Amino acid sequence: MDIKQEVVIGNQAIARGLVEAGLEIAAAYPGTPSSEILPGVVYFKNMEGLKIHTEWSSNELCAFEVAFGAAAYGDARAACFMKQVGLNVAFPALLKAREKVLEGGLVIVCCDDPGPQSSQTEQDTRLLAALFGIPVFDPASPDEAADVAYYALNWSFKNKVPVIIRSTHRVSHARQSINLYKPGERTVTLKEGVCAGQGTKLGIIASGMSYSLVHDVIEEIGAADEVSLYKVLRVYPHSEDLARFVGSMEKVLVVEETDMVIEALIGNREKVMGRGDGTVPSSGEITYDIVRDMLSVILQGQGKVKAFAPDRSIETSLADVPIVPRPPKLCPGCPHRAAFFAMQHIWPDAIYPGDIGCYTLGISQGAVDTCLDMGAGVTFAEGFYDAFYQDGKLVPILASVGDSTFLHACLAPLYDAVRNRKRFILVIMDNSTTAMTGMQPTPQTGITVDGIATHSVAIEDIVSGLGVKYLRIVDPYDVPLAISTIKDAFHYLEGDDMLPAVIITRRECLLLAKGKGKDTAYPVRLVEDCIGCKSCFNTFGCPAISFDPEAKKIGIDDSICTNCGICYYACPVQPEGKELKKFKQGRA
Amino acid sequence: MKHEIICAGIGGRGVLLASTILIEAAIKSGMKAMASDEYGMSQRGGSVVSLVKVGSYASPFIGRENGDILLAFEESEFYKTLFFLRKGGLALVNTRSATLGASIDGMLKERQIAYRLIDADGIARDADMFQSANMALLGAFASFGIEPFTRDVLETTIRSRVPEKFLAKNLAVFETGFETARRKAKG
Ligand code: SF4
Ligand code: SF4
Repeated sequence: MDIKQEVVIGNQAIARGLVEAGLEIAAAYPGTPSSEILPGVVYFKNMEGLKIHTEWSSNELCAFEVAFGAAAYGDARAACFMKQVGLNVAFPALLKAREKVLEGGLVIVCCDDPGPQSSQTEQDTRLLAALFGIPVFDPASPDEAADVAYYALNWSFKNKVPVIIRSTHRVSHARQSINLYKPGERTVTLKEGVCAGQGTKLGIIASGMSYSLVHDVIEEIGAADEVSLYKVLRVYPHSEDLARFVGSMEKVLVVEETDMVIEALIGNREKVMGRGDGTVPSSGEITYDIVRDMLSVILQGQGKVKAFAPDRSIETSLADVPIVPRPPKLCPGCPHRAAFFAMQHIWPDAIYPGDIGCYTLGISQGAVDTCLDMGAGVTFAEGFYDAFYQDGKLVPILASVGDSTFLHACLAPLYDAVRNRKRFILVIMDNSTTAMTGMQPTPQTGITVDGIATHSVAIEDIVSGLGVKYLRIVDPYDVPLAISTIKDAFHYLEGDDMLPAVIITRRECLLLAKGKGKDTAYPVRLVEDCIGCKSCFNTFGCPAISFDPEAKKIGIDDSICTNCGICYYACPVQPEGKELKKFKQGRA
Repeated sequence: MKHEIICAGIGGRGVLLASTILIEAAIKSGMKAMASDEYGMSQRGGSVVSLVKVGSYASPFIGRENGDILLAFEESEFYKTLFFLRKGGLALVNTRSATLGASIDGMLKERQIAYRLIDADGIARDADMFQSANMALLGAFASFGIEPFTRDVLETTIRSRVPEKFLAKNLAVFETGFETARRKAKG
């Protein structure tokens, strides 16, 4: 049989496995690193000509309940997808739902973010699953993720209980070629147990990407005679075999991300090394170098093991080489940068509660002070307001939130602000997409995950519906207008309404605009007139702007500059920058 | 056969397309391949590192001083990822400079790392294809003929990956990269 193959990322592999297993309904809220699963389902259902209902939900609880409803009371094979912190949003429902005997089948795919790379905290979904007795799988590669997804949905359907697949950033985003079978034709043998080495001195137990890393390190340092590597795929309930393996080894090391789960399930503190005794770092991602250093130390001098020693001449030779640091920044031309610039310009010392999305990067422009969880931008602002108002002070508080996060988590907080008479400015940055996670359409764009038109909802209608009276919509590229609007909003707060003021800064995400060929195009004349004050370089954070210390001038990388022209406003010698001075003078 | 390859550059400049071409070229040649990408939150202008492992590996990750080949699509990113490269490895760097300076030069010699400096941006700009510096560097890499990344295999893979509209020009840039690196090898 000629089997088709395709190079996919782990998330698409999961989608493929589910589609082949007869998935009928899938719902998700995007969140790195899980966002590509639902579009993957759409891609493969179209490829196979299958009817599968797919939808973006407004949050993870909605996604879970849609899938659960379909599997619990209908006989559907359903799935929902989210990131690890998203599981917390869905958790109240999951906790009760796990007790229900399903009519159909239900797989919850939850992608963890060790590190964390793009989340506020680390969190181990396996821990929650084990704690509440929900079966959980931890695949070690995209290829295996496809198999596990196929297996899990069938298993859930047969056994009538929900199953969790926990992926991690490194599995979800690794790229590998997988086999594409006809729906229903995949045969899966789960790979668990001893997978490498034949030693008995040290038994290593690992799951997920940690397993794959340990596997490669054992090979590199030549430790196969000293250790045995046991792979765990179903973390809860784990196989009886595991205890036998532990019994047969002199010492055991558990390598897993990110909490102690297998390690805690095994117990046996005498024999077991891992996060508990500090052998494995207590937080953060497990990298190749961490595993290699760890095994080098433990196995030093044993058998043929070549412990790794770094050659520090590399660092020495680099000591005097100027290296451009590239901290995470908003894209060149990003409308958020313009909005933050306006906010910061008028009130450099305001309180800036922020939220979660690309725009958390407003920190670097001094226009975001906090980042707790989705929606906290608004509720924090309420708390700050009260803290000052009790002392009789009305201070400028400028909260910011993106459009997708607003719809996910800010409706109740904003209504609370209205009924509890809170006064602050909320800037809703509407770029018509969930950019950070890969450009998923938001409810107000009126497009489904399948790319077809649906009913849209306008943010301004929601805001007025919640009782907000001061509502302005501005183009953030119009910096003077944005600044004067913010000033005006603060005057409003000083009035009698006792309500929050809302400003929607609306401009399409640059990546979307670019896709439509709508680049703004007039050449920037910043460099010619530059006097080297570094103001734009320091306050603006555009990746296209660099500073040349020899020429004492800034430089612009035209391969990424979008000619948005917003940097003019940051420059004291340009007419645009001069124009802004008037705001500083007559400040509220 | 096994290769550990690091592709380093900045976002929006085709690093991920280059690494995709490498994995697909390896798979076309009947080998196992896997990749892992690291990029910051911003989609353009941030550091991008794509690790590609070809052969019987379980993970796509490369340890310090384990990489065989470093393709640096931007000079600064070359320095940041240099620690990946093993003794005796190979590096290709997109830079306009004629040298990397005495201290780097000495260290690379000491570590027996062969390297080639290619003005991939210049090659691409001459062809009016500024965004295609990645193709110039891949062309230069092809000139080493390291199996399975020969000129033929890479060219076929590019054909299957790059949209028709840009294909001819991309292949021309690839070709110039190839020739430039070959001339340098002789010169
Ligand atoms: S015009 Fe200025 S702010 Fe806009 S992308 Fe170019 S350098 Fe950055
Ligand atoms: S703000 Fe203007 S003068 Fe100052 S460094 Fe930037 S371009 Fe040059």
